Amino acid sequence: MADADEDAVRGTTVEATQIEVDLSDETQDFRLLNHLNFLTDTSSSSLPRRGEKDFEPNPTEFQADVLSASRQAMHNALAHPRLHNPKTQVIAIYAPEGPPPAPAVTPGQPSRGASVSPDACVYVPSPKGQYFKSMGQADRKGVIWLLPEEALYLLERGSLDIRWPTSITGGTTVGEGSEEEELSIPMSLQAAYTCLIGRGGLTLERFTVFSSLKRIGYAISRAPGWDDSTEVDDSVDEHSRDSYTQPLKRGAGLAGILGSIFNWINDPKSTSSMAAGPVIGYGIHRNYADIYKKLALIPWYDPTLAPTRNTLNTSAPFRVIFYVYKPSTPIKKSALPPPDFRIAVINTREQTTAPTLPELSALLESTPLDPPRGEKMERQMYMRLRHGYRNVILAVVDQGVTSFLRVADVAFGKERLFEGSSAPTGPKKGGNFRKKKR
Amino acid sequence: MESTPTLPIPISYVSGRYLLFSIDAVTYLRREHNICGVLIGTLPQIPQQNVFLGLPLELMPEEARVLVDKDVACIVDEARAHDGMRSLLEEDRRQYLRDLESQGQLATRMLSDRKDQQREQSLKEIDEKKAKGLAAKAAKAAADAQAAASSTSAPTEKEEPNSVFAGEDESSSLSRTTGTSTPAHHQAMGVTPTTSYPPLPHPVSPSAQYLPKPEVPLSYPLFAHLHSRGYFLSPGLRFGCQYVAYPGDPLRFHSHFVVVSAEWDQEMNLMDIVNGGRLGTGVKKGFLLGGPQKRRDEVESEADRIETVRTFSIEWAGM
Amino acid sequence: MASSQQAQSPPLEPSALTRLIASASGNPLAATTIQILHNLQHQHLWTSLEIHDISETSIASDAPPTLISGIPPHRVYTHPDEQLYMLEKGIAEDDLRPERLFVIPTAQGQSWSLRRMAAAFDSLAILELSESEEALSSGESVDPEKAQKLDEYYERKANARETKEWGTRRALLAMTNRGMGGEGTVVYYVVQEGEVKPRQN
Repeated sequence: MADADEDAVRGTTVEATQIEVDLSDETQDFRLLNHLNFLTDTSSSSLPRRGEKDFEPNPTEFQADVLSASRQAMHNALAHPRLHNPKTQVIAIYAPEGPPPAPAVTPGQPSRGASVSPDACVYVPSPKGQYFKSMGQADRKGVIWLLPEEALYLLERGSLDIRWPTSITGGTTVGEGSEEEELSIPMSLQAAYTCLIGRGGLTLERFTVFSSLKRIGYAISRAPGWDDSTEVDDSVDEHSRDSYTQPLKRGAGLAGILGSIFNWINDPKSTSSMAAGPVIGYGIHRNYADIYKKLALIPWYDPTLAPTRNTLNTSAPFRVIFYVYKPSTPIKKSALPPPDFRIAVINTREQTTAPTLPELSALLESTPLDPPRGEKMERQMYMRLRHGYRNVILAVVDQGVTSFLRVADVAFGKERLFEGSSAPTGPKKGGNFRKKKR
Repeated sequence: MESTPTLPIPISYVSGRYLLFSIDAVTYLRREHNICGVLIGTLPQIPQQNVFLGLPLELMPEEARVLVDKDVACIVDEARAHDGMRSLLEEDRRQYLRDLESQGQLATRMLSDRKDQQREQSLKEIDEKKAKGLAAKAAKAAADAQAAASSTSAPTEKEEPNSVFAGEDESSSLSRTTGTSTPAHHQAMGVTPTTSYPPLPHPVSPSAQYLPKPEVPLSYPLFAHLHSRGYFLSPGLRFGCQYVAYPGDPLRFHSHFVVVSAEWDQEMNLMDIVNGGRLGTGVKKGFLLGGPQKRRDEVESEADRIETVRTFSIEWAGM
Repeated sequence: MASSQQAQSPPLEPSALTRLIASASGNPLAATTIQILHNLQHQHLWTSLEIHDISETSIASDAPPTLISGIPPHRVYTHPDEQLYMLEKGIAEDDLRPERLFVIPTAQGQSWSLRRMAAAFDSLAILELSESEEALSSGESVDPEKAQKLDEYYERKANARETKEWGTRRALLAMTNRGMGGEGTVVYYVVQEGEVKPRQN
């Protein structure tokens, strides 16, 4: 298809088949189906089958009708209101001043409030529902404080009713009683964007990345590099947090290369001679592996020996700002496990060029070593190469359009093709850059 | 649906970005001014997917600029406008809350009506099913869908403009919520409104102060040139270019060009032309390279550059 | 061993292409022109090749000094609407008289800009004026019905040239590679002025 990528965006095959299933399912409510069809019609993936997108406008009435129907469907979908059933309604209050400073902690009694981020600015007096399992931080009173992105995401999906504080809008002070709550003014979607975007480093690009991942089920937390200006604090040992400790071996700098050549010359077992003669030496060679080993003259980069860098020792935007967890990863808000993915968010209007090698290297060095593991990786070289030894995801945002790219640090030199009988398996494609998905 | 919102349309300037929250403005700009923007918000009725997104609509600064230059829109500093929340009159505040409450009650009523209809409908369908074969029914479903499509616009016009349900397809769009809840008859649903106007006074007024025209990148003249020729333009990231140009509404048409802008004397690598040409041809698009013949320092305003734009369409020759 | 024998063999004769390019009096741009001309002639079997010196006519001093023109064995480009017309009228490409096509010779790494591209196209406009008479000489058809159709086609085409319905002024941008020792690959891109919708096949 001409617009392969657009197809993916506007109507996945999964989506299309689901609609087809609905259509043939006898017990379906057809008006519900109609409604869904309206939505999917914008992708032209349902009633008029996908692929009916035209090459160019023509003056036919048919084309005008289809376009007008698509626009109507879009209009309807976008006009859908955000309603809260009184039984399940969760009310939150916007707190522009942020959480009150945690009172002095009495020794021996750890304060629960200590974990509330100063960037939190919406609180939920009586939290209920599933969303607070992976979002929000409880203070000493059991009130949940939400970061701006969490609050905005919940409001946007219609799951949270955020109110203006009466300190701003006037009227009765909001207390525990529900009667008074009713007198506070609900924040509109527009007001929520206005008040929450731009707070505590939350750019619109960061929010769109956050919400696009939340929508499809990932859990997300801010990484230490969230604040662009935070630099390495010597008093905090970031390394100890990582489950993986780095072997303090020599990196692959110039010194490393010279060193390896030096070792090679002095190798007492070497059958070679540097002074004269063939590279592989005059010794007796009984297998090819020996010979190839001798022929491996070109130094190569070993990502396992690359220096580890503090995550704060990177510069925005090539800096990890989100930790992301797969839906299957069990999450405990109080003790987050190592993330499944690390994400840097890049705005194309501010960063108009591809990262330089030093920028990318620094970013990768700030992630922990994640060598290929598992039975499948062991078997398939291309999977190992693709996985790499360190990886990071770049979320590149161009005016609301996001592409996710996985960048991995690959060790071609570690794949000794002359060893082992197995010919490379797996499809031959890709380098270390790979479009993850859209 | 074919309504024209009051002009100029206020574009929300929020933390350096240009956003639209009014569905009527979004529909109008798309229909009359070929401005699509990018939807970035979650649709509350189907929140767990990224295929269909909802309000707000993010506009490129170029899009906002074109609209401001045509006097179709103006830029409103939302942070400042929302300071107005501090000076709401007590009476207005109460009136607004009463309005929301009645909207919530309307929603509750519609949902319960809807539930009854649903029940009737499914009973009717079971009967029909007995009478007709499955294939015939599938055809009817399609017909129903179209009938519903044509009927949706009718009730819309009767709605109050301020209602959260303006433009809403009453009979079907609330169905999602019905599935999960049965609200009590008397208790009103809570409502999160989409925009802040009301309770805030409409931001466009003779005495209102707007923000200056949006700052635009050097590629703006090419953007404006293509827009003036009827193209719909969207951000180019997906195709590794600056803009993607569509000959008609992207809802219905494939794009024609991957667009890259350059300044007239900007040194360019011939390899970039090969890359662009090859990329475009690979996705059945042309690679459009262009730019204004004048530099910014040679003209009074960006508008003077737009007239000097020259473009070149490039395709792989296949030899 | 084989290697020792090879070492003693005389150095290789320069290739025909190398000799040809060397003849271009040390001017790198002229060498590019000759190399591309050679490629068109021998790899793509173009005929009636000509080199046009446009350094005089060109307004901009930094325009490419030469253009190449020639007649390709098959049509290189047909605008989608023209193709549709031909399909409707039952006109095959082979029925049409050959058309002269212009080529802008460039080399990888050569500096380039919109100004240069535009200058090449401006020169093209002047050159095309002098070419147009020559074009009408050939093309007599045996079948009167077909002749009629072709006449209509040519009329339509002349009209489309005015309205730009079938695309605009066009040229091939040819680029030789110079990196990696320059093994002589030449790539060709159809460039048209203005927004011309892409071909769909």
